[in-house]
Amino acid sequence: MHYTKKWLTLVGVLTVLAFVLAACPAQPAAAPQTIEVTREVEKIVEKEVPVEVQVEVPVEVEKVVEVTAEDYTTPHPILSDIVVRQAIAQCVNRDELIASVYPYVADDVKPTLRMDTFLPKSHWAYSGGYTDYAYDPAAASAALEAAGWVDADGDGVREKDGNRLSLKFTTTTAQFRQTWAAVAEQNLLGCGIEIIRLHTPASWWFGDSTGLQRRDFELGAYAWVGQTNPSGRTLYACNQIPLPSNNWEGQNYMGWCNEEASQAIVAGNNTLVQAERVAAYDTVQKHFADDMISLPLFQRAEAEAWGINLLNFRPDATEYSSANSWEWELADGGDTMVVAFSQEPSSMFSLIVSAAVQRQVAQMGVGNIWTQYSYDYQPLTQTPLASLENGLATNEMVEVTAGDMVYNVDGEPEELAAGTKIVVDGETVEYDGSSTVSLPQLVVNYKYAEFTWSDGTPASAGDVELAHQIECDKDSGAVSFIVCDAMQSAEFGPGVEATVTYLPGYQNPTYFLSPWGELYPSHQVLSDGRMLKDVPAAEWATLPEIAEKRLSYGPYVIADWVKGERIELEANPYYEPAPKVQKIIVVIVADTNQAVAQLLAGDVDYLERATLGGGAEVQTVIDAAAEGKVNVEIIPSPTWEHIDMNLYTK
Amino acid sequence: MTNYLIRRVIQMIFVILLSAGATFFLFNIAPGGPLSGLQQQQQQLTREDIARIKAQFELDLYLPVRFSRWLIGFPSGPITVGGQELFADIPVGCYLVREEQTTDRNGNTVTRPTGCDDYVYLSEIPELHPAVRSSKGILRGDFGLSTVVRPGRPVLDELLSRLNATLELLVTATLLSLLIGVPIGIYSAVHQYSRFDYFFTTLAFIGSSMPVFFFALLLILVFSVMPVFLQDTMPWIPRLPSGLREAMRGYSIAEWLPRVEAGSLWDRLLHLAMPLMVLTFFNMAGWSRFVRTSMLEVLRQDYVRTARAKGLRENLVIYKHTLRNALIPFVTILVLTIPGIFSGAIITETVFAWPGMGRLYFDALSRSDWPIALAFIFITAVLTVFALLLGDILYTVVDPRIKYK
Repeated sequence: MHYTKKWLTLVGVLTVLAFVLAACPAQPAAAPQTIEVTREVEKIVEKEVPVEVQVEVPVEVEKVVEVTAEDYTTPHPILSDIVVRQAIAQCVNRDELIASVYPYVADDVKPTLRMDTFLPKSHWAYSGGYTDYAYDPAAASAALEAAGWVDADGDGVREKDGNRLSLKFTTTTAQFRQTWAAVAEQNLLGCGIEIIRLHTPASWWFGDSTGLQRRDFELGAYAWVGQTNPSGRTLYACNQIPLPSNNWEGQNYMGWCNEEASQAIVAGNNTLVQAERVAAYDTVQKHFADDMISLPLFQRAEAEAWGINLLNFRPDATEYSSANSWEWELADGGDTMVVAFSQEPSSMFSLIVSAAVQRQVAQMGVGNIWTQYSYDYQPLTQTPLASLENGLATNEMVEVTAGDMVYNVDGEPEELAAGTKIVVDGETVEYDGSSTVSLPQLVVNYKYAEFTWSDGTPASAGDVELAHQIECDKDSGAVSFIVCDAMQSAEFGPGVEATVTYLPGYQNPTYFLSPWGELYPSHQVLSDGRMLKDVPAAEWATLPEIAEKRLSYGPYVIADWVKGERIELEANPYYEPAPKVQKIIVVIVADTNQAVAQLLAGDVDYLERATLGGGAEVQTVIDAAAEGKVNVEIIPSPTWEHIDMNLYTK
Repeated sequence: MTNYLIRRVIQMIFVILLSAGATFFLFNIAPGGPLSGLQQQQQQLTREDIARIKAQFELDLYLPVRFSRWLIGFPSGPITVGGQELFADIPVGCYLVREEQTTDRNGNTVTRPTGCDDYVYLSEIPELHPAVRSSKGILRGDFGLSTVVRPGRPVLDELLSRLNATLELLVTATLLSLLIGVPIGIYSAVHQYSRFDYFFTTLAFIGSSMPVFFFALLLILVFSVMPVFLQDTMPWIPRLPSGLREAMRGYSIAEWLPRVEAGSLWDRLLHLAMPLMVLTFFNMAGWSRFVRTSMLEVLRQDYVRTARAKGLRENLVIYKHTLRNALIPFVTILVLTIPGIFSGAIITETVFAWPGMGRLYFDALSRSDWPIALAFIFITAVLTVFALLLGDILYTVVDPRIKYK
């Protein structure tokens, strides 16, 4: 072989080139400078659009607020027209969409998956009676015709004022979405609405500076995970619209600003009275449905399958099945149970990991503070849950004046000063800068069970204090510190308990839940000789005693973790009531077919719901269940698919 | 030869550095990353929150600084000379990026970073990125900490934890493929157009064209799932465990066979059977075709004809004069299995729930764990260049005519 100097020079040049390219900084290190935006500021005065009454289409009063001329403040030429949005809703046959992706779901269950607002029908805050936009292409076509959208050139797509009724539809490449999107595409074309499907990588669509976050879509489909506490402030409030001017903060990607709905969201998030919350969310849902800025499609169907040998299994929409693992029992009297997970948990440090698989293993092998079955909360380690009714919480009015720290209407702590927006008696008011204002102040006593750690040490107030110390430390790696920032003070003891005084104005509807997601053993001595409580928060994620083998206050304790293969959990001898199965082994099975084969063969007893997924393999399990080989239950998931409509364009 | 080796080693260093730089750069410009999931959580995140989270992944540092820290662990703070700190006030990153709207040459309004509201200075590195969470550099054998797959835990631990399983599967499969594939290739070539040749040629084409996952699922269906249903009426039919490296509890594969204890040698072999079948079949298919072609080419050479004409025994002609020459190009294929043995078999490991390297790499890529993916690629690159060097050296062994100057 002959190696020439030319060849060596080429390698050298390429190497230098690579370093030059690598040397380009991601963010320029240039001195701060301001670039003047020359585009003229367009002021749109608040106006009321005349009431439009359509066939089976609700009355709409559209308000356009004052905006500055920046990206996404120019109304979208097509989607700013409510007639088009409502026609899109009426032209999409959601039952057909559901049938396309869930052929195995029984016909009588399919309608229960269909959504008409951002809350599922079984949610406590869902009152019903919202505009449903039943599939009615004829009515939709009539409405479009009346609004001037006609197919003049006969190509099957409507036009108006030179605008073709053609919209880009952006979503992920997931097969599931490709399937229902193809059905929706045909549905819409039947009404003369063309969509151009863009199936993009999830990394782009959900990137922190691309896709959805930069509102780079016209119609955009994805899913939200519904919560027991509906919250919704970040999704639908007027001040949560991501814009260049606010560094793209917020998740109201549609750019929807309905003042009445926005105020109702604020009110719903700032009252502790359940009835008031229901009323507030009813208002939000009504506007959400009427304005049709986001078309709710359906709840995902999730299947859980378990062996016939497994008893006391409790599937639920909003709580993981592992939440009652101490009750699990094997009918044949076996002492080892096997559970299959599609993904391995990253860490047992719940503060930095929020994945479902992590929560499930942690529920078994670390501990669980409370449960949330059926869109509600139940006490567990925290017992009883604090409430105004049982006296563990108070919400007295206190007087605040300028200079006091309060909780403002945006959900942030702020020093009270002229212009500060606060919620007083359910109304948003602007502080005048001098007067004394009365604001409610929550003081909550969080009590925990007098449990014993898996090493035999009784729990102490120090464990709660350590939880506060770590979970409120910005170096811990946690994403959000909203609750910590809302605390005015916290006292610990005398029992396993803490009393937290929140800032005046902080009215968290879930005040009754422990603000700390976990408890930590303050007595634990690490392998390097340090006490756990003395380790800086920045190091916690790197500790094997925290990330992998935790002391447990749950029904089981992690005895062994073979990476990529299995996690062995043994019964915690100090847990009461004692777990019925001595050992639970979590095996990592990424492939659904493999997982199903293991379940059918009896090698595993339970497939975690993400492991089974919602694909064609579910039918195999249903067939096996019909033969009595396994059990299966289809659960309407809190995760729901929807199509967002971007009301503005660049 | 010595000069040649020295020159090759120097070239290898360049190639490795080039590949390290290129992969690091590509990962950093690719969309996504460890922050992708943030947008799917319904929570209010401020600019400061996002800046804080970015800093946890060292994304607050400039790319060349990140690359240098990843490669050699430098800089880890101000340079101290004679008790004096040098370059402490040099900005090495930006904690809070300022973004403003500008108009590009096409007249579109775009948002671009235009400056920095809070720089990261060299003196702040020890505090912002303490040694306990920083890498000493991959060139010093420290691959840093995982960011997503095992946040905060050393990447090297993750790699080592999977190495045994991968070696067990891949080394066995490679040896079996060699033991079966090479003789089949030889026999097919020597008995060209025989029934045997047609049969194994067909098999080889199936092996080359059938997707791995399909063949794997087919095996699971035939040897694991179907027997489960058939055993209701025919309990004597044995079944194979469908996946994992070993069972979690004792099990029975057929009524007439003794119960298999979890973790026993018999259990391990049963679990190894199907993934081994898949990998062996696919390797064997390709290798037997290669050896066949190579053998046929050599069999047509004049010196083989001469050897036969001289009346040498056929075995001597085949094994001494033909095979040795036919295997020379096969050396390249063989040495390139070395990085493959380290990197595992992504699809086979995934389908059979085998806890190996391939699955770890796939996991790291799909979940944007750059430190793991980069370490994986770096080690694979190092093994590849070493394997190629080994191949070149082996050429001189199998073919004395080859000499390097």
